[in-house]
Amino acid sequence: MKNIIIGQYIPGTSFLYKMDPRSKIIALGILMVTAFIFKDISHILYMLAGVLIILKIGGIPIVRIARGLKPIMILLLFTFTFQVLFIKTGAVMLDTALTLTTYNLGIMIIIILLWYFLRKYIKSKLLFMVVIILVILTMLSMYTPGTIISSSNLTIYEDGLLGASFIMVRLVIIVTLSTILTLTTKPTDLNLGLEKILKPLNLVKINAEEIALIISIALRYIPTLLDEANKIMLAQASRGVDFSEGKLKDKVMQIISLLVPMFIISFKRSDDLANAMEARSFIPGKERTRIHVLSWQRNDTAVIVFCLVVLVSTIVLGFVA
Amino acid sequence: MAIKFEQVNFLYPSFDNDHFSALTDINLDISEKGEFITLIGETGSGKSTLVQHMNALLRPTTGNVTIYGIKIEKNSNKDKKIKLNPLRQKVGLVFQFPEYQLFEETVLKDIIFGPKNFGVKEEEAIARAKEVIQHVGLSEEYLERSPFNLSGGEKKRVSIAGILAMEPDILVLDEPTSGLDPKGRDALLELFTNIHKELNKTVIIITHDMNIVYKYASRVLVMHQSRLVFDGTPNQLFMKENIAKWNLDLPDIIEITNQLEQKLKLKFDTLPHNVDQLFELMKGVL
Repeated sequence: MKNIIIGQYIPGTSFLYKMDPRSKIIALGILMVTAFIFKDISHILYMLAGVLIILKIGGIPIVRIARGLKPIMILLLFTFTFQVLFIKTGAVMLDTALTLTTYNLGIMIIIILLWYFLRKYIKSKLLFMVVIILVILTMLSMYTPGTIISSSNLTIYEDGLLGASFIMVRLVIIVTLSTILTLTTKPTDLNLGLEKILKPLNLVKINAEEIALIISIALRYIPTLLDEANKIMLAQASRGVDFSEGKLKDKVMQIISLLVPMFIISFKRSDDLANAMEARSFIPGKERTRIHVLSWQRNDTAVIVFCLVVLVSTIVLGFVA
Repeated sequence: MAIKFEQVNFLYPSFDNDHFSALTDINLDISEKGEFITLIGETGSGKSTLVQHMNALLRPTTGNVTIYGIKIEKNSNKDKKIKLNPLRQKVGLVFQFPEYQLFEETVLKDIIFGPKNFGVKEEEAIARAKEVIQHVGLSEEYLERSPFNLSGGEKKRVSIAGILAMEPDILVLDEPTSGLDPKGRDALLELFTNIHKELNKTVIIITHDMNIVYKYASRVLVMHQSRLVFDGTPNQLFMKENIAKWNLDLPDIIEITNQLEQKLKLKFDTLPHNVDQLFELMKGVL
C-alpha cells in the first residue's frame, strides 16, 4: 500500500518542475494520444526509450517509478496472458503439445510445494511465480514419460505476442507519464493548470473551475485516505481482526469493519474541507487573484512543439506504412 | 515481565531514503501486575508508535519486543508459528480517535465485536457489554443506539468499552481524556484507577496532562525526540531541573508550591500531592 505514489508531489529542481503546468498537461495529452496511435512494436519501444530519457533529464529516479508500477504489475500480467492466449492470427510462434503424465504430474506437485515453501524467502514473489509457471510449462511440453493423463495444445501466435507486449508497454508508458506529471507538479499548480485548460468548456455551460477543483481534491486525498485506511486497520487489528487470514464470512466482516469507518471519516473530512473553504470565503467559479501566476516560458512552447512534431510524424508514419 | 523492549529502533518508511526514525534505542520493562504508567512527551516524540509496539501492531525495525514470552522481531508477521492475535487480547490498546474503530449499527454490536473476535461466546460478550458500558459512565440504554449519533466524548467511552470488554491483562490508552469534559475525564480516570487497584492490572496512559501524571501514576515514562529519556516515579521527574529541556510543564499543585516557596521565602521538605497536603505543609512551616 505504501508503494502507491500516484498523486504525490515530491519536491525537486529539474526542468520538469520549472515548466508551466498547462504545458505539462497538454504535453501529457499529446504523448498519450501518440502512444495509442503507434502501430509498430519497434516504434513504441522508441517511445519507451524517450520516456526513460525524460525521466533521466528530469532527475526522477527510475526506481521510484518502478515502485509505483508495482501495484499495477498484476493487472499487466493478466492482460499479457490473456492477449497471448486469445489472439489467434499471424504466424505461429510456438506450437507445442502439453502432456500431463503420471511422472511429470509428480514433479509438478513437488515444484509447486517447493514454490509454496520458498516464496517466503524470495524477495520478488511475482517474478518467482512467473519463473515457476514457465518451468512447469516447459516440463509439460518437453519431459513426458509415463502414462498420459491428459493432453492439450498450446499455440502462441506472433500477433498475440506482439499485441500483448504492445499493450504492456503502452500501459507502462501512460502510467509513467501521468506519474511524472503528478510527481513534479504541486496540487495547487495542477489545479490551476487544469482550470485554464478546461476554460473553453465554459462556452458549453460546463464549469471548468469546479471540474478542476474536483480532480485536484481527489488527487490530493489519495495519500491521506490511504493513511487513514492504515490507521483503521491497526485499530481494528487491536480488536482482534486478523486481516491476513480467516474464512470468507470473516473476510466480509473484516472488510466491513474497514469500510464503514473509512466512509465516515471521508464524509467528515469532506465536511471539514468544505467548512475550511467556506471560512476562507471560497465561492466556486468566482474570479480570484492568485499568489502564483502561471507564466508561459519559451521552454514550454518548445516542449509543446516537440510533442506535436512527435505526434504528427507518428500519424504520417502510420499513413506511409 | 509481561512486555520487554530490547534495543528497539523503528523507522517509518519514506520515498527518499532518509527514513524517519520514530523510536531510537528503546529499552523498557513493563510488568503484568500493578503498574499505573503514564507516558508523556511532545507531539511527534514517538509515544503512539511506542504503544503500538506493545501489542505487536508495529514490529521493530531492529531489536525486539517480548510480549508474554513471545519474541517479536522485524519479520515475525511472516512466521506462521507466531500468532500475533492472542497478544492483542492480552494487551488491549485503545486508539486516540474513536472514529477509527466504531463501525457497527449499535453500540452493543460494536462492544461485542472485540470479544467475539477472540472467541468469546455471544451471550457472554453481551453480559460483558452490559457491565462495561456502565463502567465507562454510560447507561445501558446506550447499547441500542447507533455509535454514529453519539457526541465525541460518548464515542470515546464506547471505544474504551469495546476494549474493556475484551478483558485485557494490560490496558493501554492513547490520550483517553482528550475531548472529554472535566467530569467525564475524572470519572474515566477513576475507572482506570479501579481497574488498576481492584483487578491489579497494569494500565498505561498516554497523556499531556501533568496533573493526571502526578495524581495517578506510579511510574512515568518520558519520550523526547524518539528516545525514552526518563523512566521513574512522578516525584523524581518533577524534582528534576530538566523539565524545560523536554518541553514539559509542572502539575498545578507543584507550580503553586514553588510559587509559595519563592514568593513567601518558605522551605518545604516534601512535595504535596493535593491541596490538603499543601495546607498541612503550610501549617507546619508557619
